[in-house]
Amino acid sequence: MKTRIKELRARYDLTQEDLARKVGVRRETILFIEKGKYNPSLKLAYSIAKALETTIDDLFIFEED
Amino acid sequence: MKDKIGIVVGIGIAAAVLVTLSFFVLNAGNLELNEIIPPGIVLILVASALYILWDRIKNVRKGLPAKDERLKLTNYKAGSYGFIAAIWSAVFAPVSSEIFFDYELPGSQVTAVVVLCGGLAFMISYLYLAWKGS
Repeated sequence: MKTRIKELRARYDLTQEDLARKVGVRRETILFIEKGKYNPSLKLAYSIAKALETTIDDLFIFEED
Repeated sequence: MKDKIGIVVGIGIAAAVLVTLSFFVLNAGNLELNEIIPPGIVLILVASALYILWDRIKNVRKGLPAKDERLKLTNYKAGSYGFIAAIWSAVFAPVSSEIFFDYELPGSQVTAVVVLCGGLAFMISYLYLAWKGS
């Protein structure tokens, strides 16, 4: 799964730590989501999308294996 | 607040284990190599636990949660691996001791092996999964 979190973070001038604080997770969790190493829960995906003023569909790009 | 209580309780438990361990080592006299291994493993477990606590303190100081959904998942996974290791060692330790060393392990030693194997498997898998990402 690819994400546009890094791109949108840059648009809003947010660091990983800023975003982590906004959505209530640890910085490493944001890092692993950006790298595609961790699939967040629907609740966290929604929180991140809301914090970056976008939708889950726009934020995550699902790839068939 | 819940995070801070968890950290304080964790530090308290680690301190209690270290005090108990130091009492054991001070009163044990001359220890042989095979007698040093169990306290050594306990020391590794305590050091790993202190590292995890230090990591949590660092996050709480930054205003981030000590634990989030990823770490809770890591905890569950590591817990299940620790449980499997404990069950496996409970069966393997007495059987292998009899087969390879012709020595019947007393119940207390089997318990020690089970606790140490379970703890070690938990700690290794927790640190690995936390570092790997999922």
